[in-house]
Amino acid sequence: MSNVSDVKNVEKLSSTQKLRSFPGNRIVWHAVIVGAVWLLLLLLNNNIDPLYSSYLALVAMYATAMFGMTILVGLSGQVSLGNGALMAVGGYVFALTSMNWQTVPIFGWQWNAVWSMVFAGLGGILIGGIVGGLAARLKGPYLAGLTLGLAVGVPAITNRFPELLGGENGLMLTVPYPAGGYAASDGSEAAAGTDSGTESTDPDADPGIDSGTATGEDQYAELDLSEFDQGLDENIDPNASVGTEDLLTEGDLLTLDDLSDGGDLGLESAEPTVESSIDPNGDTGVDLGVDAGLDPSGFTDSFDSGFIIERWQASMAIAVACLVAFAALNLIRGRQGRVWKAVRDDPIAAAVVGISPSGSKVSAFVISSLFAALAGAVFAQILSFVGPGAFGLGLSLSLLVGIVLGGRSSLLGAILGALIIVWLPELVNGLAGDRGWPDQITNNAPNLLYGLLVVAVVLAAPGGITGTVRSWIDKAQGKSRSPLS
Amino acid sequence: MTNFIDFLLGGFSNGAVIALMALALVMVWRSTRMVNFAQVGQAMFTTYIALTIQQSTGNWLLALAVAMGAGLILGTIVFFLVIRPVKNSDTTGAIIATFGVLIALQAGAGMIWGGDPEGFLPPVSNAGLEFAGRIWPISLYDILVLAVTAALVIGLTLLFTRTSLGLSMRAAAFNPEVARLSGVRVNRMLITGWAIAGATGAVGGVLIAPVSTISPNSFDILLVFAFTAAVIGGLDSLIGAVTFGIGTGLVISLVSGYTDASNAPVVALVLLALNLLLKPDGVFSHHGSRSV
Repeated sequence: MSNVSDVKNVEKLSSTQKLRSFPGNRIVWHAVIVGAVWLLLLLLNNNIDPLYSSYLALVAMYATAMFGMTILVGLSGQVSLGNGALMAVGGYVFALTSMNWQTVPIFGWQWNAVWSMVFAGLGGILIGGIVGGLAARLKGPYLAGLTLGLAVGVPAITNRFPELLGGENGLMLTVPYPAGGYAASDGSEAAAGTDSGTESTDPDADPGIDSGTATGEDQYAELDLSEFDQGLDENIDPNASVGTEDLLTEGDLLTLDDLSDGGDLGLESAEPTVESSIDPNGDTGVDLGVDAGLDPSGFTDSFDSGFIIERWQASMAIAVACLVAFAALNLIRGRQGRVWKAVRDDPIAAAVVGISPSGSKVSAFVISSLFAALAGAVFAQILSFVGPGAFGLGLSLSLLVGIVLGGRSSLLGAILGALIIVWLPELVNGLAGDRGWPDQITNNAPNLLYGLLVVAVVLAAPGGITGTVRSWIDKAQGKSRSPLS
Repeated sequence: MTNFIDFLLGGFSNGAVIALMALALVMVWRSTRMVNFAQVGQAMFTTYIALTIQQSTGNWLLALAVAMGAGLILGTIVFFLVIRPVKNSDTTGAIIATFGVLIALQAGAGMIWGGDPEGFLPPVSNAGLEFAGRIWPISLYDILVLAVTAALVIGLTLLFTRTSLGLSMRAAAFNPEVARLSGVRVNRMLITGWAIAGATGAVGGVLIAPVSTISPNSFDILLVFAFTAAVIGGLDSLIGAVTFGIGTGLVISLVSGYTDASNAPVVALVLLALNLLLKPDGVFSHHGSRSV
C-alpha cells in the first residue's frame, strides 16, 4: 500500500502555494515524487513473493489505463466504454510488431519491446483521434452508446482477419524479455544495447493456437479475476503436472495457460527435452485460467533460477505506469487540466473565454487512448497473448467500475480503483474458500459487488473514495467544494 | 437474387426483436431523457424467469405473461432505486449507474441460473416453412414473433395516441413543468414509462431466446443493435425505433448472409458512427440544434 500513501503526499506537497506559483518547480517536484514512488515500488517488488508481484503487475497495468479514464471520464466528463477496445489496439499492435517486425532495425536500433510499445502508443493515438473526433460531437448517452459499440465491435474485428489477427483464438507472442532472462534461446537473440533485449522469432508452429478454446464468448473475462486465483492455487500443486504432449492433443482442454506455456516451450526449444516440460497448471486447472485470461505464475517453473518472470513483468508494468502517471500529473495540474474541467462544467462559458470545447474533448480522448494503448501493450506482455476475449466489454466495464469506485477525478482514485479491481475478487475468493460457496456464486460475486457498489457510489458518494475523503477533509477545514471537482 | 430475398426474409424476426428493444430505449428516453443501458440486462433477467416458468409448466404464453409482469416490476424497481435519486444531480453518474445495474443483473443471473448458455424451446416450429416447392427462411415461429411485435407496437401506439394516460405521458415527456402545472402527475408518468419499457424489453427477450440461446451476457450485442436503431430513429420517435429496428435487423441479416455473422457488430458500429456524423439527431427527430 505504500504507493497509495506516497501519492497522497504528492497531493499535499504540490497543493502548497509555493509549488503552484512555479510551474517549472512543479514539474521537477512531480518528477521527484513519481521517481520516489517508482523506487519504492521497485523495492517492494523485489522483496515480495513473486505471486504478489504478479498482482502488482496487474494493478500497475490497470492503473495505467485508468489514468486515462481519470482524464476522460473525470476531468473531461465523457463516459467512455471504449478504453478496453483501445487497450486491444495497443495489445494487438504490440503483438503484431513484435512478431513480424523484429528483424527491422530503426535508427540503427534492433527491434525490441520499447519500439513495439512506441508503435502501440501511436496506434492508440491514431484510433483515439478518429474516435475522439466523432466523440467530440456527441453528448453523454450518445458517446456511451458509440463507445459501447466500439467495445463490442473491435474485438469482433479480429474475427474478420483471422490470418493476421488470429481470430477468436488470438495471437501468442513471445515476450521480449531482457537479455539473459532465458537460459537458452533459438539463436535469433542479439543484445542490442537496450535493457529489454530483442525478440526471438517464434520457433514453435504455435501448436496451441489452433486448438485453443474460444475465449471470446466470455464477455466478462476481465471482471472475472476471481478465477485467476483458483488457477494460482492449483499451480502450486506439484502433483498436478501433466506432460505437454498430452495436453496438446487434448485440443478442447487447451486454454490460455497452455498457450502461454506453448510460447515458453518455443523459447526453450534449444533444450532437448521439450516433452518433459511441465505444465504447472495441471489438468484440473486448465479451464480456470481462460476466464481470467491471466496466469502469470504458470511461468515460474519454466525458467532458470535468477530470472523471476513475475518480477520482470511487475517492474515493466510499474515503469510504464510511473511514466504515464508523470505525464498525467503534469497535464492534470497544469493548464490543460483546467481547460478540461472548464469544458466539462460549462462548455458555453469555456467557449466564451476562448477555449475550444471540441478540441478539449478530442485531446482528452486522444490522451486517454494513448494511455489505454500502452496499458494494452503491457497487458499483452503480461499474458504473452492477445485475444478478443481478453479485451472484451468486461475489460471496458471494469475500467469504468474502478474509476468510479476509486474516485473519478483524481489519479489517486485511479490507483485505488486498480487495487479494488485486482483485490476484490481475491477477497471474495478467500471468503468463498472459507465458507465453501459453490463456483456459480463465487464466480459472479465480484461482479455483483461491482455493480451494486457502482450504483451505491453514484448515489451516495459520487466522488468515489478519494472524492469523499477529500470532502470530509474540506468539511473539517470549513471549506466547501463539489466532490467531483 | 434468391439469396438476397432469403437473407432479407430471414432478417425480419430479428429486426422485430431489435425494434422492441429500441422501443424500450426510446420510451425510457422519452420519460427521463436518458438511455437505460441496463435495458437488455433487465430483459435478460426476465427471460431467465420466463425460461424457468416454461421449463416447469411448459406453457409459453404463461411464461411470456410472467416475463412481462416481471419486466414491469423490474423497470419500476430500477427507476425507484437508482434513477430517481441520481437523475437530476449528475447526468454522468446516471449513465454510469445504469451500467452498474447491468453488471449487477448479469452477475445476479449468473448466480441464480449459472453462466452456461441455455436453450429456450419455441412454442411453435422453428423450421423453415415449405411453400411453392422450396423451403423459405421463415418459420412459424418467425411469424409468431412478427405478430406479437406488431400487436405490441399497435397497442403502444393506441396507448400513446388514444388514451388520456398516453396524453399525460407525452405531456410529461415534452414539458414536465407545464404538464405538472396542468395537473399531470409527472413522476407517476416517468414510472409508467420505465415500467412499460421494462415490459417491452421483456417481450423482446422472450421472443429472441429460442432463436439464440440465453446466457447472462448473450444480449449484450442486442443492446448495441437496439441502441443503433434507436439513435438512427432519433431516440424520441416510436415509429423511428420500429422502422430502424427492423431495418437494422435486415442489414445485419444481409451482412451475415453475404459475409460472416461476426461482422454484424462492426456493421452496427459503422451505421452508428455514420449516423452520428451525418445526422446526429436522428432521422425522425424534431429536435432543436445543440448549443455547443
